[in-house]
Amino acid sequence: MTEPTPALQIRALSKVFALREGALEVLRDITLTVDPGEFVTIVGASGCGKSTLLRLILGLDRDFRGEIRVDGVPVTGPAADRAIVFQDHRLLPWLTAEANVAAALLNSPLDAETRAREVREHLDLVGLSKFAKAWPRQLSGGMAQRVAIARALVGRPRFLLLDEPLGALDALTRLRMQEELKRIVAHEGATALLVTHDVDEAVYLGHRVVVMQPHPGRIATILEVPPEARADRSSPAFVALRDRILGLLGVGAIEALAV
Amino acid sequence: MAGDLATPRSRDLRPILSFVFVLILWDLAHRFALVDPRFLPAPLDILTRLISELSAGTILSDLAATLRRNLLGFLIGAAAGVSLGAVLGASRRIGQIVGPTVVAQRQTALFAWVPLLAMWFGGGDSGKIAFIALAAFQPTVINTWRGIALVPEPLRELAASLRFSQGQYLRHVALPAAAPQIFTGLHTALIYAWLATVGSELFMNITPGLGGRLSEGSQMFEMDLLFLAIAIFGAVGLIYNSLAEALEAQLLKGHRP
Amino acid sequence: MTLIHSSPAPVPFAPRTARALVQSLAPLGALSGQILLGLSFPLALLALWSLGAARGWVPPQILPAPSVVWQSFLDLCADGSLALHTNASLIRVAEGFALGATVGLVFGAAVGLVPALRAWVWPPVQAATRVNVLAWMPLLTLFLGIDEALKVVVIGWSVSIPVILATARAVGDVPATLRELGAVLNLTRAQRLRLIVLPQALPQIATGLREGLANAWQSLVIVELFASFEGLGYLMTWGRQLFQLDLVLVAMAVIAVLGFSLDLSLRAVERWLQPWQTGAGHGR
Repeated sequence: MTEPTPALQIRALSKVFALREGALEVLRDITLTVDPGEFVTIVGASGCGKSTLLRLILGLDRDFRGEIRVDGVPVTGPAADRAIVFQDHRLLPWLTAEANVAAALLNSPLDAETRAREVREHLDLVGLSKFAKAWPRQLSGGMAQRVAIARALVGRPRFLLLDEPLGALDALTRLRMQEELKRIVAHEGATALLVTHDVDEAVYLGHRVVVMQPHPGRIATILEVPPEARADRSSPAFVALRDRILGLLGVGAIEALAV
Repeated sequence: MAGDLATPRSRDLRPILSFVFVLILWDLAHRFALVDPRFLPAPLDILTRLISELSAGTILSDLAATLRRNLLGFLIGAAAGVSLGAVLGASRRIGQIVGPTVVAQRQTALFAWVPLLAMWFGGGDSGKIAFIALAAFQPTVINTWRGIALVPEPLRELAASLRFSQGQYLRHVALPAAAPQIFTGLHTALIYAWLATVGSELFMNITPGLGGRLSEGSQMFEMDLLFLAIAIFGAVGLIYNSLAEALEAQLLKGHRP
Repeated sequence: MTLIHSSPAPVPFAPRTARALVQSLAPLGALSGQILLGLSFPLALLALWSLGAARGWVPPQILPAPSVVWQSFLDLCADGSLALHTNASLIRVAEGFALGATVGLVFGAAVGLVPALRAWVWPPVQAATRVNVLAWMPLLTLFLGIDEALKVVVIGWSVSIPVILATARAVGDVPATLRELGAVLNLTRAQRLRLIVLPQALPQIATGLREGLANAWQSLVIVELFASFEGLGYLMTWGRQLFQLDLVLVAMAVIAVLGFSLDLSLRAVERWLQPWQTGAGHGR
């Protein structure tokens, strides 16, 4: 397997929003290739179009210039092979945790029994089997987000899109969820694309980090994450890479430490 | 509506006592001949009238006739309102075209429709029911429309990412999300329909019903009957309101974000 | 964990003015598009109505042609009777609204500020207001006759109810955070009323007044249908008795247009009174 088909291939992608106030260019000339099973993180300031990029890959928005191919096929709309986790959990408040996960299988060809088993397995995977019958409002932020992750994974997508999935959580829950996310994505063997504005998170989770710049959103550089940095947050490799990214984003290392 | 004002504290007896005081004052005013009994009947007179009406069965059959018209009109108006509201909410374009007319129609005085409907449908039962249906239609259509049109964008996006069909979207996302507002519309419709029922009985042809008894009491100067009819009118409104509130609370329990 | 601040993008100087021009014009275009769409439906109905009348689909006793209605509108304008009836109705609404708003504001503020009133006087009054004024009308007739007094009282009654409710609630339920603020700043009672209670109550009271005006318009029609010898409601009753639908329709249209513009102007006043409120979250 020297040259596998890329899981995701983006070429010369540009996106312009037509607003009442005029045209707003949010993405300019994005080119990115992601291999199967790879975990790629995208980091950048707000306004660099990273969430827009995910929506385009998902197929929610089909108005763009350039090319997006998933497994070699151009994206024409949402499909079963791609799933997304949003920053807000977006659980339907009138459905139980279980039913929320099952909602992702409404259009699946599986029979009812298999669906029920898949739902159970995925709630188990995120450690929430005991809360299958709970209403979303009874869950904490972290738990609700885990249900949302289960919902995204239950259809066994080949591609998992994560739009700042941990952005709304408190610092401690967030650290714990980063571990979880790493484990879960590895377990499912999915290709993952995670958008964040947290540089630590980007370095810790990604095999590669895409650094983006705003106005209009464009790729500044793409960095490989050394295995030792990805394994240990306090390793010199981790700190060096983080500082380098912060520098690219216009934040000095000393400033970053002071935060 | 005014629940927080009506019940300041859970074990506060003063509101109940205040009613008792009003009744006592009312009764005392009669005993000491402070008011003209031709204009204000004694509380007991009204009760006596209720008992005699009940034993004769007249007030019950009047109430039944009124309620029948009321419920029929409400059902027609609410069904039309929910259906049209769902169409307006589901299609942005139709909402833009028809919506402003619906809103403008809501702003016009409801009772201005009485003469027109009386001429179109006659002053009998069908005219009355048409008017009641119109009264129920207005708040239902607007609230259903708003509720479905204002489903938050994140939920629409979620439905798109899960590849929901239009039907799945309506069933699993739009209708549950709009349910509180649809119920608000139906609740208002219930109150309006009741108002329109009595109004139609006062303004269209006199037919058996509560409104007829109201006019009878006024024209024959039978104050006890008049007060009784007003009390029943109020009581039915109160019962409708409490029923709607209880039902709303029950149906929406646990479904709020 | 680091939050990253975006640096402001360099904006080219020259295109800026052009963009500003586009920015100021674009919403206008979108707005007029919306208005055109909204007008298209009633215009289509009107066209259908004209066509139906011309082809004789509906008998004129059921629906006279638009031209007939327009002609009687012109006639009513020419002989001054429309102005007379409209004037009579508007005066009633103004008097009733003034009465109801005054009573509502005073009584509502009293109930909101004095706990004893809230406990002892409010419940029976509330019970009476729960019964719509429509049902009280036959009784009020016996006390007030069927002349102007009845009309003003009925309209005033219907106005006062939402005003009382809104005022009492707004004045009575000052949020705890604002009350704490008053305590922290060591304000006197008068200062608290002026600086905290009233401004935060104003939006709710304004909404109550607007609701009251809507009620006034509703009950004007009710009371004029019930008993009157002039006014727009009377014009409708008269047209109905003469089987002249065109009169009924003219009166309906005038009632609709006036009611709509009353509401619009009160909304404008509301916005003008509360410049700190952004337009969002208005209406029910």
